[in-house]
Amino acid sequence: MYVTTGEDEANEGEEVRLMSTPVPTAQPFLEKFPDATIISDDVDRPAILVPKEHIIDAATLAKEMGFDHAESVSGVDFPNDNQIEVVYHLGSYTNENLTKCVLALATRAPREDDPRPGQDSTRLPTLREVFYSVEFHEREIFEMFGVYFEGHPDNRRLLLPEDWADLPPMRKDFAIKGR
Amino acid sequence: MEFELLACGGRQIMSVIAPTFRLSYFLKSILDNVFWIIVLVTLVGIPAIQIVLFYIEMPVINGELLTPFLALTWLADPSRAIPIVKAFMYTDFFRIAVFPGFGLAALVAAGTIFVERKMLAKLQLRVGPFYCGKVEGILQLAGDGLKLISKEIIIPAKADKPIFWIAPVAFVGTAAAFVSLIPVAPGWVVADVELGVLAVFAVIGFFPIVTVLSAWSANSKFPFIGGIRALHQMISFEIPLILSLLGVVMLAGTMSLTGIAESQEFIPWIVFLPVGAIVFFICILAELERIPFDLPEAESEIVAGWLTEFSGMMYGLVQLGTYLKLYAFAALFTVMFLGGWSGPMLWPPFPEEIITDGIQLGPITATIPGLPLLDQAMLNGVLWFLLKTVAVIFFILLPRGVFPRIRIDMLLSLGWYKLIGLSFINIFIALALLYAGVLGPGGII
Amino acid sequence: MTMSAQLPPGLQLEKVDERIMTLNVGPQHPGSGHMRIIVQIDGDYIVACDPDPGYVHRGEEKMAEYRNYITNIPHLERPVIHDSCNILYPYVLGAEELLGIEVPERAKYVRVIAAELNRCVYTLYWLAIYGIFLGHSTMFMWPSGDRELFIDLLEKLTGARVTHAYFIPGGVRNDMPANFEDVCLRQVRYFEKRIAEYSDIFYDNPILISRTANTGVLSRNDAIRLGTTGSVLRASGVDYDVRKKEPYDVYDSLDFETNVLKSGDSYARSKVPWLDMMESCRIIRDALSKMPKSGSVRTKLKPNPKGGDTSVYKRVESGRGALGCHIVSRKKPEPYRVKLSVGSFRNLIAMPYLLKGEKLGNMPSVYWSLNYWPVEADR
Repeated sequence: MYVTTGEDEANEGEEVRLMSTPVPTAQPFLEKFPDATIISDDVDRPAILVPKEHIIDAATLAKEMGFDHAESVSGVDFPNDNQIEVVYHLGSYTNENLTKCVLALATRAPREDDPRPGQDSTRLPTLREVFYSVEFHEREIFEMFGVYFEGHPDNRRLLLPEDWADLPPMRKDFAIKGR
Repeated sequence: MEFELLACGGRQIMSVIAPTFRLSYFLKSILDNVFWIIVLVTLVGIPAIQIVLFYIEMPVINGELLTPFLALTWLADPSRAIPIVKAFMYTDFFRIAVFPGFGLAALVAAGTIFVERKMLAKLQLRVGPFYCGKVEGILQLAGDGLKLISKEIIIPAKADKPIFWIAPVAFVGTAAAFVSLIPVAPGWVVADVELGVLAVFAVIGFFPIVTVLSAWSANSKFPFIGGIRALHQMISFEIPLILSLLGVVMLAGTMSLTGIAESQEFIPWIVFLPVGAIVFFICILAELERIPFDLPEAESEIVAGWLTEFSGMMYGLVQLGTYLKLYAFAALFTVMFLGGWSGPMLWPPFPEEIITDGIQLGPITATIPGLPLLDQAMLNGVLWFLLKTVAVIFFILLPRGVFPRIRIDMLLSLGWYKLIGLSFINIFIALALLYAGVLGPGGII
Repeated sequence: MTMSAQLPPGLQLEKVDERIMTLNVGPQHPGSGHMRIIVQIDGDYIVACDPDPGYVHRGEEKMAEYRNYITNIPHLERPVIHDSCNILYPYVLGAEELLGIEVPERAKYVRVIAAELNRCVYTLYWLAIYGIFLGHSTMFMWPSGDRELFIDLLEKLTGARVTHAYFIPGGVRNDMPANFEDVCLRQVRYFEKRIAEYSDIFYDNPILISRTANTGVLSRNDAIRLGTTGSVLRASGVDYDVRKKEPYDVYDSLDFETNVLKSGDSYARSKVPWLDMMESCRIIRDALSKMPKSGSVRTKLKPNPKGGDTSVYKRVESGRGALGCHIVSRKKPEPYRVKLSVGSFRNLIAMPYLLKGEKLGNMPSVYWSLNYWPVEADR
């Protein structure tokens, strides 16, 4: 039962064949969502910025292309644009020709200067229904940036203490003392 | 500046640095202590002893009753010393508190703790207690005991205080009661009960009650879970424990522990009943809550189980009780299966010429009445008993270095299905031996 | 309105079920690490589990926005000081790409050796705690002792026992000492002998197998769906190792295998890191033999280098799985945003999923088999 399996011969050959013909991962998004912006068209690290209305459809498309899990969800605060960007880094375990590829699917939520997390307009639709693995990542984004994910079943604090009553700490206007 | 202050004894500053050592200060402090000891002993100690002696029955020595006024004369007259000691050794108090009872058990328990820590350390490629007491950390246990005594006892706010206070004492008391039933040598037992095995079962039955009471009275979640686990574990393992001893009782034809030990003068019962011995040994491990059966104290699941809320010397008492229990169970195994004190005579006979001629120290010959203090058979019996008990204790300690902890459902299925089945097999073996006329009263052997 | 409506979300009063007992396992609990697991039990069965990390959240990502690319190095390794080379690795790779720095060939090999030594240090520490969680005190002491071999090696190499801060953009801080290769080979050979003995006392122990096999089973599909990584993923039968799939530095030229077990239970999850340590020894020996014997180990940096107007996402395989670093740069000496996507945090999501319906006695073994390091998950 507990036997180390060697590498699968068939998979090895397939991988070599497929790696020679890389798939353009960023193009299908542009075809389907004309208002999307391609940030990077790199084979291994494609990056797309999609408006928040289309983010669920874009994630579904990514899932159809073979991306099956989220590696990381990071938020980036842009106070000058008055927007908060949420970047989903999607990877694939099952699709052999996407194993090297990490798709950065970004979207932007409006930002408010006086945030009231959960009650203001800084909202995005959750991707938990599409990628189950974003659950804890989105909880972290919620507490760190104040982005409320609509439809997330468990929008609670994760890392911060329960009685945290300051700004969401990863926003740029939350300054560290002495810096 | 600071150096000057330090040099004059360190009295003027509250410094953590030790003041400079001076031999004169050292000698002065010793002399101070000696002075106060002499004053207190002469003014308080000796009168107090004399007052107490008026209420104690005195032995008869050289045909005359020792009076309290003469009691301390043994200090000057060695010929009176040994008879007094001997008279004291045959009192019940000595048996309960010192030799076959609590004192011996506590000594073996202390030795067990030390050996356990050192042996486990060697097994795990480390050193173990090392610094305390210079020689391989021999005083570590004393240090730990002192630390526990000096610690604050914290009682949970919503605990049932009387029961919570009583529990550790009751635990030690139960363990001591168990110890009192164990015969160490012919005639050397605190309580020689006719139905000794039954008395042992009765005493063992108190442990789960004490455990559950202490766990429940703490009014805390982790002790409660631990107590319930202990209850499950002890009850499910008491049945195979009792059943595995029945074979021995059948073959020996007596329930007295002394009688059982005497019945295996030539061949111990483990030879005929190995299954029962194995079942009994596993039950010992479970009853003692030792790895791999230490579920009631599983620290990664339920902190320290039913011991979680105990602090200071309350915890120390429970630990003392645990190790007394360990000694008692190992001794019970020795008595039931390994033949107790029986064994070839190893102890050298007491030299007769000391009794007849006295001890010659150069020109002086001192005849000391009352020798020998203990007879040869008794000393040999104790030696064999302790050797066997220590061997059993060693085997009880060994699994701790080898096995992980098992789970409660595995434990219960082991107790209820496998061990009870095996102990029935053991009973059948005993019955077969008995009815075939091989062993037992009137048997071939 | 009741009082509970006025309280902040995490402090609301809960309805109490008569049958259900809520246990706060941690942070002050010998079986929790630096986190709290809120476990609800019905009898001996866990009906719900809610991991509550964040007890040691230190805001490493926020601090990284205030320091430049070089001064970020010593504090970014703090989340896992036992695996400090590997947690710096993606950040250093990302910084090299942003700042446009080439790394000398020898430095790449030195980095791989340091990273693999560090992986062993971490895994031994993890294994020791796994042993004590199961009540196996010998398995706590043996790896803790053998860990010293690698700590000594890394001390020779980097000058520090645990917090190395060894990797820098453009190579490593200093070259190997002269006799390092011999000492390293000797220690690794001894360690390989030693690690084989672990199976005698731990992995082949019947009680251990009966306790951990078939508990907390994570199926292959669930492992992928939950986005788990590292040993958790490989124990569930997914052959995914960043070192193989997307080789960084010189891993593509080295000879090693990935270890994949199929059963997906706690036992397999505890065995994969042990097998990985043997592969690490192989990698170290291979890298020592293939390494260029001389040459520079660091590229000279400009003072206060500035990144471009882009972002990078780099990942490596750490002791706890894929470790990604997302760096956003905005033409400043400081990174605009650094996000560490750590394996511990990604595996955390599997904990409530696996513990539901398990017995309370299985909680420590399932929890620690997730290869979860609370401090790293909190960052």
